[in-house]
Amino acid sequence: MKKGLRHLIIYVLLILLALFMMGPFLWLLSVSLMPGRNVFANPPAILPTFIAFDNYVQVWEFMDFPRYIINTVVITLLGVVFNIFLSCLTAYPLATFRFRGRNLVFTLLISTMIIPSATAMIVHYLTIQAFHLGNTFLGVVLPAAVSVFNIFLMRQTFLGIPTDIRDSGKMDGASEFRIFVQLVMPLVKPGVAVIGLLEVMAFWNNFLWPIVVLDDPQKYPLAAALTYLNGQFSYNFGWIAAGTMISVLPIIIVFLFTQKYYMEGIAGAIKG
Amino acid sequence: MYKAIRSESFAAWAFMAPGLLFLAIFTFWPIIYGIPLSLTDYSVITETHFVGLDNFTRAFQDHNFLISLWNSLVYVLVVPVIQIISILMAILVNSRIPGVKMFRAAYYIPVVTSMVAVALIWSWLLGNNGVVNYLLLKVGILSEQVSWLSTSSTALYVLMFITMWKGLGYYMMLYLAGLQGIPADLYEAARVDGAGPLRLIIHVTLPLLRPHILFCTVISVMGAVRVFDEVYILTKGGPGTSTLTSSVYIFQKGLEQFNFGYASALGLIVSVMVAALSVLVFRLNRRGGVNTY
Repeated sequence: MKKGLRHLIIYVLLILLALFMMGPFLWLLSVSLMPGRNVFANPPAILPTFIAFDNYVQVWEFMDFPRYIINTVVITLLGVVFNIFLSCLTAYPLATFRFRGRNLVFTLLISTMIIPSATAMIVHYLTIQAFHLGNTFLGVVLPAAVSVFNIFLMRQTFLGIPTDIRDSGKMDGASEFRIFVQLVMPLVKPGVAVIGLLEVMAFWNNFLWPIVVLDDPQKYPLAAALTYLNGQFSYNFGWIAAGTMISVLPIIIVFLFTQKYYMEGIAGAIKG
Repeated sequence: MYKAIRSESFAAWAFMAPGLLFLAIFTFWPIIYGIPLSLTDYSVITETHFVGLDNFTRAFQDHNFLISLWNSLVYVLVVPVIQIISILMAILVNSRIPGVKMFRAAYYIPVVTSMVAVALIWSWLLGNNGVVNYLLLKVGILSEQVSWLSTSSTALYVLMFITMWKGLGYYMMLYLAGLQGIPADLYEAARVDGAGPLRLIIHVTLPLLRPHILFCTVISVMGAVRVFDEVYILTKGGPGTSTLTSSVYIFQKGLEQFNFGYASALGLIVSVMVAALSVLVFRLNRRGGVNTY
């Protein structure tokens, strides 16, 4: 009986919290399904009187969503590939090799975490212009092509690989690179999945830097296009709600399907 | 043996070269280049001059910059609130009851969605005829509508609330990982000694979470000082200067008005302050002597 009561209290608290955390999204969903402009009604309509997909159809016809989705996917893919490739390569020697300068590299990496570069974006802007990468997807992706956080995370993962593997590869006469690609990388797939997911979310949601780099709004990713939609159609709630749902759903779906790895990775990142 | 070490050293640098190259250009270079840039009046429009420390003396006389620093400092007040609530959430979702994983995922969804979407949703909810006003009026907490985001006295706190709401799930997960690392027999032992739930939290959970509290506090302090997205999307610093935080001000000076030199100087000042602040947080936490890092 006492246990039952305890469970009841916990469930009530969990549900109240869920309403607080999820409520705004559910309301957004509800607004996006409301026909016409009854969002402006006073008192505000919280539930739609009848459900209609008009907003989705109209906003999809008005905004070139397929284009923005393709832009977002291209930027995200580029960003994820760069990050996986570069952070694995950089983290591997830091975890397994003995060499002079190892501590120096490590100290340098840590120092970037302590000194935040508020000016970074300005210098990035100048750098990207100097490379003539303004208004290109590469210009959007490169400044975030590798992150110190990902290097740490991968180093953590590589540390968990037994050293025998590298030794056995050497006995067979394999080069360091071959050992890395054929023997070590297959063992760190979970770590790669985690940094991949982290970057999918980061690039998918990025809006400010793309707006700074890209002059042409036709190249905007979804999140940036959304600010555009909001600026132009602040009077049309239903459309913006539908547009926002369209931009948010893919990432929520990805998250729900991969949450196990993702959450373990986030949690594991600070255990080191 | 010597040769083996040398070839290993060569391989190591070869592996790291691409990554270090990118870090050099996009992580170290902005830190280094910001310094000379801050000593000039560089802007795209006019000729560049060396101005010495002018930008810095100007900064400390710049009323808006000082306000932005103050606002950023006020923003840090969100940190303890986030920590307390997310620890309580973590304790709650650490319960072994059916369906609890579903709730964890639900609480995490604000973290994975874009700030653009989150800001849009809250700007409607908080609007004059929005749901928040409606509910608060109905319950009787408010006697008249408040335009939360366009009133100077409330706007900054509303932004802090949104930052908190979006971040809770993230910190909850970090604390949950910490909680799951606490051996169950510690709780058993305390329970045998007659400790109630509250004492268990104060005497077992919190001391053992110390390293996590340190980590989360440092990253959320940095996050709060550097806060940009929600402010930029929702208020752009307004009304007036009531929500002008340092990042927004630097962005305005730099990438909107193209005063790169001045903006770099401001960025440098803020960077030094953030570094000092994080060292302070580390010190405060180290005083207790429990530190696994």
